[in-house]
Amino acid sequence: MTWIARLSRPAGRTVPTAGPAADGPADPAASADPADGPGAAGPAAVRVRDLTVAFGTREGPLPAVSSVSLDLTRGQITGLVGESGSGKSTLALTLLNAVSDPGTVTAGSVWVDGVGNVLALHGGDLRRARGAQIGYVFQASQNSLNPLKPVGKQLLDLGRSHGERDGRALLRQARGLLDHMGLDAARVLSSYQHELSGGMRQRVGIVFALVLNAHVLILDEPTTALDMLSQASVLDIIRKVHAERHLTTLIISHDVGVIGDVADRMAVMYAGRIVEEGPTAAVLASPRHPYTRALVNAMPRIAGDITQARPLPGRPPDLASIPARGCVFRPRCPLAVESCGDAEPADTVAAGHRFACFVAAEEDA
Amino acid sequence: MITARAITRTFAGRGGMLQREPVRALRGVDFTIPDRGAVSFIGESGCGKTTLGRILCGFEEFDGGELHIDGQSMGELRPRDRAPYFRRIQMIHQDPYSALNPTRTIGQILADPLELRARQRDADAAWIRRRRAELLELVGLDPDYVLPRYPHMLSGGMRQRVVIARALTVDPEVLVADEAVSMIDVSLRLGILQLLRDLREEVGVSLLFITHDVATARYVGLGGELYVIYRGMVVERGGTDTVIQQPTHPYTQCLLSAIPVLRGIEEPGPERIIPTGPLDDRTEPPGCLFEPRCPFAAADCRATVPALGRLGDTEQEHACLHPARRSVVAVGLR
Repeated sequence: MTWIARLSRPAGRTVPTAGPAADGPADPAASADPADGPGAAGPAAVRVRDLTVAFGTREGPLPAVSSVSLDLTRGQITGLVGESGSGKSTLALTLLNAVSDPGTVTAGSVWVDGVGNVLALHGGDLRRARGAQIGYVFQASQNSLNPLKPVGKQLLDLGRSHGERDGRALLRQARGLLDHMGLDAARVLSSYQHELSGGMRQRVGIVFALVLNAHVLILDEPTTALDMLSQASVLDIIRKVHAERHLTTLIISHDVGVIGDVADRMAVMYAGRIVEEGPTAAVLASPRHPYTRALVNAMPRIAGDITQARPLPGRPPDLASIPARGCVFRPRCPLAVESCGDAEPADTVAAGHRFACFVAAEEDA
Repeated sequence: MITARAITRTFAGRGGMLQREPVRALRGVDFTIPDRGAVSFIGESGCGKTTLGRILCGFEEFDGGELHIDGQSMGELRPRDRAPYFRRIQMIHQDPYSALNPTRTIGQILADPLELRARQRDADAAWIRRRRAELLELVGLDPDYVLPRYPHMLSGGMRQRVVIARALTVDPEVLVADEAVSMIDVSLRLGILQLLRDLREEVGVSLLFITHDVATARYVGLGGELYVIYRGMVVERGGTDTVIQQPTHPYTQCLLSAIPVLRGIEEPGPERIIPTGPLDDRTEPPGCLFEPRCPFAAADCRATVPALGRLGDTEQEHACLHPARRSVVAVGLR
């Protein structure tokens, strides 16, 4: 049972403050610990501030993420929900400083506990932060294993690329995690990817993200393409490792159901903006932004009166069709008034719950 | 109307020469799709639900049982004589991105099957143009916008509507929708589901809806029948809302327990049933197929194969030796 003791220790959290963080204070924002953001609940392990990521296109640079601020509360699961193209994966990639061409971060900072401003890191420092501090399970990671190598060999490759000399300890750690997820560790480590089911591969992805003792875990669409039973067991595992390893977790999904089930706090993203954010139960029970309201209403649900479900009008915007001025949701919004076209709404904050809508803000006043 | 009796389909096994076990995708499935009716099949991946849809569309042979389309047995016909019958059943694929030819405009895509139709009924080109616009309006698209465009210029939701319009060109009696919204943006999904549901009323088609997502089956199949399929066998059957609210088979209860519960607006049902292990389709249990994963398995489950039987005097049927109603579904708080 020794591995359980190791698993439950918040490993790697005490050391790094002297490590990468000390290396990276070239940027003054990196060493300064920014104050808690609007509506934050408790200390944050990750702070995203005024982040803008632009993509160079034929029509010039277009922002995929626009002035986003978001805190990931330490020890909590934060859910990020949005449609394809809303910028949620781009936002998450900035946590690894991994936005790739033609995208560039044009403004803002991403402050991670024990790392500093990730956006100021490069080279070896950045590589050490990835994996050892921040674990990332990529979208469709069930298809991202090397088909030519058994899982165990790939795990050793991962360790080697991070300067982990003790391969045996790494395998022991992975075996512990796999056992814990209800998998036959010996079988999985000697298997090729085609010998594992989708749910098993997803769990292997989580093991890869955690085996170097990361304390921030990011999961991009962890249950997409899984059926209901595999989805439920992957969500159970996420909840379990999150609690036992005292992680700070970010889950990205297009499925409000998944976020509503697993996340403590949720943020709703639309056209590169966070339009609403707060405790999951509060956001779902009394959504303030008209987009969140419409999303919740457009969900076929198992409880309640299904004839009340209503489709959303319009279509999701792409980068080129996002309105340049005013509220970005205006073209699809049932509440829109003329003045919504004048400026972008600022956040209205109430009881740890924020939203960016002029009309909903007036309801409060 | 379509009736299927004891449909079976066995595939030659994968794997090495010595361990080639046949895969029994369907083991005697009975169902009826009434005119203008809705029938949903739910189950996890690999349970045979896709094979069932393909057999119904004539893409796949069945090797046992009887399939009747409008009273005609398919088994009695030569393959080429079956074509006009299978044309009455049209498939809506999961992936609207690969279901449309990228080199042809929507106008051309819809004109091809309509030309065939026009020849059959001596109609002219004006009829084709009129019908094309009519169908696009029926699926909620603006013909002037869509007709000259290529598939890549449309969103996923619009493409799926084009696929549905194309299926309707041949005046089908049944639409088979296999995970038809799983690749569509969430905000557009309900619109497609609503369209499928409304088409039953508006053009009188019936619907076979195949999914692993029980909530979408509930929305589309309202007032219809729900079949729960496990390893090629129907394990529970009944009215859609009856099966969802009062499941009796442990497998149905596992599926329903797995549905996410929305914090703040729902609370979990009093019971949660979780299978004791993952699906292992390489072993053939001698008794109940679900017994190796069933948390309620008793000694007799290993010996006897349960048949689909009535529960009391209700319409609901189940294949379980020890059926019990359990409340597993989340309850709405408002």
